[in-house]
Parts: sequence; C-alpha cells; structure tokens
Amino acid sequence: MKKLSLRRGATAAAIIACFAGFSAAQGQETYKIGYITDLSGPLAGSYTPTWEGFELYIKALNDRGGINGKKIDVVLDDDGLKADRAVAAAKKQTERDQVVGIFGLSLSSTQGPVYAEMRKIGVPVVTTFSGIGDALPPAQPFSYSTGVVFEIAGEAIGELAQNIKKGGKVVGMTFDSVGGRAAIAHNKKAVEASGGTWDEVIFPIATSDFTPFAQAVAEKKPDIVVGHYGSGQNLGVIPALRRSGYNGPYVVASYGVTEDTVRQAAQRAGSGDNIYYVTRYSSAFDKNPSVAEVADAQKKYGTSKPFSSMHVTGWALGKFAEAALKGCGWPCTREKLDMMIQTLKVDMAGLTGGPIEMSATDHYGPSYWRLYAWDAKDNTMEPKGAWVKKSSQGFK
Amino acid sequence: MVRAEADPSACFPERTVSVEFIATVVILTCTYALLAAGIVILYKAGRVVNFAHGEIAIVGGYVFYSSGLMFGGSPWFAILGAIVFSIVMGAFIYATMMRRVVGEPFYVAILITVGIAIVLKSAIIVIWHAEQVTIDIGVAPAVRLAGGATLSYMDLASIVLTVAFFVALYLFLTFTRLGVQFRGTAENPLLASQRGVNVNLVLSLAWIIAVLAATLSGVLYGGRAFLGTASVSIGLAGLTAALVGGLDSLRGAVVGAFIVALAQYLTVRLIDPVLSEALPFLILLVVMSIRPWGLFGTVEELDRV
Amino acid sequence: MARAGTNLRTSYLESNEVLRRPYQKLMVAIILAAAIGLPTSSSDYFLHLVNLCLLACVGALGLMILTGFCGQISLGHAAFLAIGAFTTVILTVHLKMPFIVVVPAAAVSGAIVGFIVGLPSLRFRGVYLAISTLAMHYAIIFLCTSYQAKFGTSASAGITISDPIIGPFRLRGEYAWYYFLLALLTLVTTGCVNLVRTRPGRAWMAIRDRDIAAEALGINLTRYKLSAFMLSATLASVSGSLAAYYSNVVTVEGYTLDLAVIYVAMIIVGGMGSILGGLLGAIFITLLPYGIDNVFEFLPRAWRFGSTVFGVQVGAVGVCIILFLLLEPKGLAEVWRRTETYFDRWPFRYRPLDTTRR
Repeated sequence: MKKLSLRRGATAAAIIACFAGFSAAQGQETYKIGYITDLSGPLAGSYTPTWEGFELYIKALNDRGGINGKKIDVVLDDDGLKADRAVAAAKKQTERDQVVGIFGLSLSSTQGPVYAEMRKIGVPVVTTFSGIGDALPPAQPFSYSTGVVFEIAGEAIGELAQNIKKGGKVVGMTFDSVGGRAAIAHNKKAVEASGGTWDEVIFPIATSDFTPFAQAVAEKKPDIVVGHYGSGQNLGVIPALRRSGYNGPYVVASYGVTEDTVRQAAQRAGSGDNIYYVTRYSSAFDKNPSVAEVADAQKKYGTSKPFSSMHVTGWALGKFAEAALKGCGWPCTREKLDMMIQTLKVDMAGLTGGPIEMSATDHYGPSYWRLYAWDAKDNTMEPKGAWVKKSSQGFK
Repeated sequence: MVRAEADPSACFPERTVSVEFIATVVILTCTYALLAAGIVILYKAGRVVNFAHGEIAIVGGYVFYSSGLMFGGSPWFAILGAIVFSIVMGAFIYATMMRRVVGEPFYVAILITVGIAIVLKSAIIVIWHAEQVTIDIGVAPAVRLAGGATLSYMDLASIVLTVAFFVALYLFLTFTRLGVQFRGTAENPLLASQRGVNVNLVLSLAWIIAVLAATLSGVLYGGRAFLGTASVSIGLAGLTAALVGGLDSLRGAVVGAFIVALAQYLTVRLIDPVLSEALPFLILLVVMSIRPWGLFGTVEELDRV
Repeated sequence: MARAGTNLRTSYLESNEVLRRPYQKLMVAIILAAAIGLPTSSSDYFLHLVNLCLLACVGALGLMILTGFCGQISLGHAAFLAIGAFTTVILTVHLKMPFIVVVPAAAVSGAIVGFIVGLPSLRFRGVYLAISTLAMHYAIIFLCTSYQAKFGTSASAGITISDPIIGPFRLRGEYAWYYFLLALLTLVTTGCVNLVRTRPGRAWMAIRDRDIAAEALGINLTRYKLSAFMLSATLASVSGSLAAYYSNVVTVEGYTLDLAVIYVAMIIVGGMGSILGGLLGAIFITLLPYGIDNVFEFLPRAWRFGSTVFGVQVGAVGVCIILFLLLEPKGLAEVWRRTETYFDRWPFRYRPLDTTRR
C-alpha cells in the first residue's frame, strides 16, 4: 500500500509540475524576439547550428551594448519539426512573452501554419534556412524569409552547374518529397534554358540502399550529377555513385548540408575529386573577412557544432534582425517592426553575394548563390566563379 | 508528374544481369535477411512481433560507431561495444518488459515494442544529437568488378558475416543443447519448462541473438547508407521480408529477403525508383492473399498472431 | 421501480444507464458548466491547446471504437486524417464549396475509404491486419503527396484554405473554435456512448473477444467489422477536415506513421474499451509535450539547449505507452474508476457483491 501511494504521489507531483509553468513571464527593458526551430527532432543536426549562428550574433550584439542601449532577449522554443508545436510555440511567445517578431523556424512544412497564425495576430515572421512561397512576390503580409526556397535554389544550381561544364547532360537526384520535386522541376528548367539536357532519378524517402539508384544514374552517363537532399543522403549517395563507376562532377545542394559532411562523404568515397557545393550563404571556408568574424565569435562563445555555413546563415539572420530592430526604434511595436522590415536593404558584407532587400510586395528579395569546389588535398573549399543573382520574381 | 525516363537501350538482358547487378542484389538480400532473421527468432521464441527492430538496428549501429570513436577509431572496440550492447539490451528488454506481459493478449507485447521503438528513437536524439553518421570502416572502393563498378571491403564483409551468422545460428540450433532447448521452448513453452528448461534464459537468449542480428544489420546499413532517425524504416522492410517468408521460418527469412531485394532492385532499374519503397508491401499483400502464413511458415491459425 | 441501493440493478434498462448515480449526473453538469465558462479565464495560448485536445478527442474516439471496442488493430489513422484534410482542400479550392457542405463530404469520403481499408480485416487478423492498414497508409499518403506536388502553391508550403463561414458567422479565433469544437465533441461522445452500450457496441466487443465465437452466435462479422472501420475513418476524417480549417494550411508532411502511433498511444494510455478513456488519453497525449516543455522551463537556460534534453519529449510518448501497458493496462479510465469507487464506497474499503460493473 505504501509503495502504491508513493507511486501515486509521484504521478500527481509530475502532473502538477507540468501545469505549474503556465504563468506569465516578467518584462524588462529589452527587445524581445522569438526563435522557434527544431532542436530535438530528426533534423536537429542542421537547425541547431543555424540557431547557434543567430545566437552568436545576438550575444556579440549584446556585448557591444545592444541596440540603442537596450539588449536583445531571445525567447527560444523547440518545435520538434511538427507544425502543431511550432504554431503553439508561436502563440505562446506572442501571448506570454510578448515578442515583437519571430525568427528562424524550421522545415518548410511547418512554416505555412505559423505564417498563417501570426498573420491573424499581426506578428512579423522572418524565416531562415528554408523559405516558402508566402514570402515571394506578391507576398503575404507579415511573412518574410531569408532562407532557401526550393524552386529558386533549383534554378540557381542549374545556372551554376554551367560553370563546371557548359551545355552538358545533367542528372538530378532527390528524394520523393514535395520540396525535392519542386527543386528538380526548376533545376530542369534552368538547365534546359542554358542549352543542356536533363534527366532525373527520384528515390523514396526511406531507402535501404543507395546503390541501385546510383547505378541507375551512372547508366545514364551524365556530365554532372546534382543532389537535392540533406546530409545523410549525400553521405550515402556519393560513395554509391563512385562505386557504380561514375567519377564525374557531383554538386551538393546545400539544404543544411555542412562542409564537414562533404569532407566525410569524400573520405567515404575514397576520393574527394569532382565534388562541388552550392550555397546561398558563404561557406565556412570562404576567406571573406565577414566569415572570419563569425568564426571568431564561434571561438569566443563556443558552439556545440563545428563551424559551418549553417552558422553563417544564422549570423546573417542576426544581422538582418539587428537592422530591423534598430530601425524600429524604441518602443518597438509589431506593426512598426513589420513596416520597418519592408523597407530594409541590409548589407551582408560578404556573408552572401549582395544585400538582403525587402519591399512591400517582395518579402524575399534577390538572392545570391555561389558554387564552391571541394579541395580534397587541403580539406577546404574554393569558390568557383562569381555569385549568381536570382530575382524572386516569377516563381508564383 | 515528373519521373525518370526509361532508357530503352539499357533494358536487358546483357546489361541487367551484370556482376554489378548480382553483387548489389546479394548485398541487399543480406541486409534484409539479417533483419528478418532477428524478427523470426523473436517470433519463434516468444510469439512476439517486434516493431522496434529497425530502431534497435540503428541504435546498435550508433553504439558501434561511438564505441569505435571512443577508442580512437579501432574496429575491435567497436565490435566489443556492439556485442556488449546486444547482450545488455536484449536481456534488459526481456527481463523488464517482455517477461511481464507473457499471459496478456498478443497486441500488448506488440504495443510494448512500439513503445520501445519510440524510446529508442528519442535515445538517438538525446544521446547522439540526431546527427546523421556513417560507419567509415572499410567503405572506400576496393575490389574492381567487370564493367567499372567497385565493391568495398565492407560490402564483402557483409556477405561473409551474414553467411557466417546463419551458419552459426543453424549449428547452434541443431547441435548445441541450448539450441535444442530453444527449439523446444519455441514449440511448447509450458512443456519445455516442465521438463526443466530454463525458459527465461532461453527467451533472454533469443532477444540477445535478435538484437545482435539487428546490430549487425545496422552496422552494415550505416556503412552503405547512413544512420539517422529516418533510417529506422528499414525495420519495416525487414518485417515485410519476414512476413513474406513466414514469421517462424529462418529459411523463409532468407527467401523472403531475396524476393524483396530482387523485386526492389528491378523496380528501381526498370520501372520507377519511387515505387521501390511501397513495393515490399505490395509483395506482402500478394503473398498474404494467397498464403497468409508466408511462403515457408507453418500453416496455423492466424488467431495466434 | 424502486432502486435496490446504488450498486445493484433490478432491470436491464437500469444496467444500461450511462449516468447511474445522482452524483454522476451532477458531475457531468459541473464539467459542462466549467467547459462553457473556461474561455473567460484562459489565455489564447491555453485555449489553443484545448482546441488541439478537442480535435484529437474526436479522432481518438474513432480509433477507440475500432481498436478498443472492436479489436481491429489499425495503423492507418493518420491516413484517415489526411483524407479528411485533403478532401477539404479539394472541395474548397477547386469547387469552392462552403463549410457546411465540405465537412459532411469529408465524413462521407472517410466512410468510403474506411470501407476499403476495412476489407482486409475480413481476411486477416492481428499483426497481418496492422501491416495491411500500414500499406493502405502509404498508398493514401502517396496520393496526397502527388496532389500537393501538383497543386500546391509553392510546393513546399502546402495549400492554404480560408476560414470557414457558417451562415453569418466566420469561424475564426480561439473562442469561436472552442465552442464549436466543444459542441461537436459533446455530440460525438454522446453518439459513441450510445452506440457502444447498444447492439453495435456489444457486437464489436464480442468480435474483439473471440470473433469465431461471435460469428457462431450469429453476429455478422462483415457488417460489424466494416462498420467499425467506417465509423473510425469517418470520425478521423471529420477531425482532419476541421483541423485543416483550424490551421488554415494543409501539408502532407504532417501525416506520418508517427502520428498514427500517437493515436494508438492515446487509446492505450486512456484505456482500451472505454469512451472516457478515449477522451482522457487524447487529452493526456496531446498535452504531454507542452507539459514537459513547462517542466523544462524551470531548468537554467544553458542546460536546456546545450544538451539535447529536448529529445526526451519524443521519447515521452513511448515511455508512457510502456509504463501504462506494464503498470496500468486499463489506462487512465481505470484510474478514474478506482478514484470514483474509492469515494463511492468510503468509508468502506471493499465493494458489496455487484455483477454489473462496467
């Protein structure tokens, strides 16, 4: 009986603890913004460094004295890659924590519902890493993005691949998802527009072995192979391609793929030759001083993940957030912040190829993409060619 | 809908039945056969269908990876770590959970394995930060085949190890005392326990062997693809292979694995790669409609399942 | 007729009553009054969570009837939710139909799909049935993915639908949704309770316990198994449709196998074979991640995000399944019943002879 009542007491305490925290948080003289992303779900490996990059920037900013003498307070929440939790976290942050804007977010499928809910309340949301059509012109109110939109990435990669070989046969690979198919469709468009030929292999999300798909690709005798997927698939596909006898150029499309993954894939494949990397934000190996600044901050404050272009992505968002809040002034309200973001043209100083500009109808702006070539000897990346500018018009 | 264009000149017969083709199908069969074997062992011994098999395989792979990492990349420590993991995990699952639901309706054990699956998946996130890792021991291309393809040492190892596992299992079940007790318990646990067989020991052993098989397949999978929270779906493929072959037949596990592997490969190369995920289910539905207890399974009341 | 004490029944009619004792009727009245008054004292965020619970309850009741009462294991519940959501999308976006037509249409499409998915149950049982429902899940999700790839605005964003309009009212905001969902859930619960305590319910329970014997007793297996699947799919479809309207966006990525497992967890935790269990389980599992979040907020910030302690939330559902199956197999409903009987018998400990406890 005693054991039973002990068990029951423990259960009751646990349940009470769960509900205890539903009270309002204290307020201070700080800028309050929210950041929601996947910190515990299947893609935490990619979203955590992006958050860390953002956090580094905010930490550095607060150490400099903040904006107009006021510090930035970031309320962080985890959405576990589920749309429900993202929406609930957004509602909690806007209601309890009184944030003026929400940043970050995670997978594209979680962004739609959050945009929709925050539009109802009138809270600006700026996403990074991924982006969806709501931010593309004609843009939905309160919905902004500095991330990678599948369709635009597909076209940019198609254009950049011409730097490797002009007018060749390009075979695109992706897994069977809505985003992957969209990227492939636009990649095809860009390749055919530049005079190349196109073929593709789409494999299921849950696959036991990449070898059959790699063999199917090798059989098509491509000049260039492009992979539109994440880290894990690259680690599996690149060795499989080399094993199947294809040793030509392979382009990693950076949907959260870090430089470390490229290094590992090169090692697994036995040779790091002919591996390329396309990204919107500078690679961690880029010799640009802005990237060095991010690296310094990472060394100073420490992060749990090794330095990668994901940190650069988060840092860039932090820079954007600073510009927005600075322009908003004090006290900053949600409407003011929203109006401010629409007028922004933030100089990225080498973090990406050009400034991030937004307007009343275009909440994405022109984006800049670069091709890097992997150098297996030094385990670094070298930029190949200049930044390619992609306008956000014409994708809707 | 966008799909891969089929290149008519690359159809058959001389291109399809190449050394590369045979090698890939054989290796794929090995992966599925190991998974199916684990599921069959558990079903034979305890009448439990293990829905956590994929997760156990992937976690085993992660343990192998971490053990190797901890001691500077040495494969021997990795193997040791994997074996220790199998023993501990198998015994733990049986002793704390499976043993306690012996008399309950069949779905209770299945649902507990579903719970275990979720917990193991979260363990990947908590312990290994959901990082997508690969096993890099011996994966570089090593042996050249006719036609330009290469095999790695790990590919060869997977074939060798799978064969070794099945041979060892066969020898164990046929010629050792414990193995015979195992078979006896599988047929009639009550009678076996009354004859002095330590049923708890036998069932724990069944779980240990199953986890070992799963870990092995997880390691091989980590070598060929990658380990991550999404990889746990191989468990379903293994379950399908086991069901096709018959849930209580080890022979069936191999045959089922071969059928599924071959069908998947042919689907990818000749039809449409995207369908290869759903294909095992299709095969299963066909087999189940004709012969519900699997190709080599004992004809029995489905009620027991 | 005179009542022979609170524990004894003197007629079948009495034993079939839902609310037998006066205090039960009082309690239901209090709960309803509290439910109606809840929004006045809650934050928007809390109401949002409550709305999520209500939506989950409707879906969970469907699965409870199928698995808890009829004993057919189904892993296809996420697919049924998806059917509801995508039917809604197709009808609102392409055919511009109003809310009042769409939700019943979603129910009908759910019933049709439920019928199809239920057909293997006539041939298979147990794990084979579970696998065939799994196959159906993949098939349905494939169809939905193809639809979204073709018709989604920016493919990855999903499809947006606007707020529902019922007559002159626009269903928007947590308050409005709360009352709507509360009314719907009350209706659905009453319907399910009535179904379960009359002939269909008894037939389902007979099939669950021993279907061969049930058939021998003259119960038409085909009719009742299929009707269980159809009802389950209908309720799930309605829940999915309303969820689509509630969040205004539909993406196929949300309907994973994990979601089906979560619904199974709801009925396990709630207690299989009890309508109250379905509701309690749905509420518990829906609120669990947010509850854990709250507990985590007490930890210092560096702790929370440096390690991935958050992963525990993913595993919490699994831990609950295991703990409940091992320690409390009849679920939260049993906990409720125990509490109820404790107070009912107090100060006595043991109950008098009573053969019609349910």
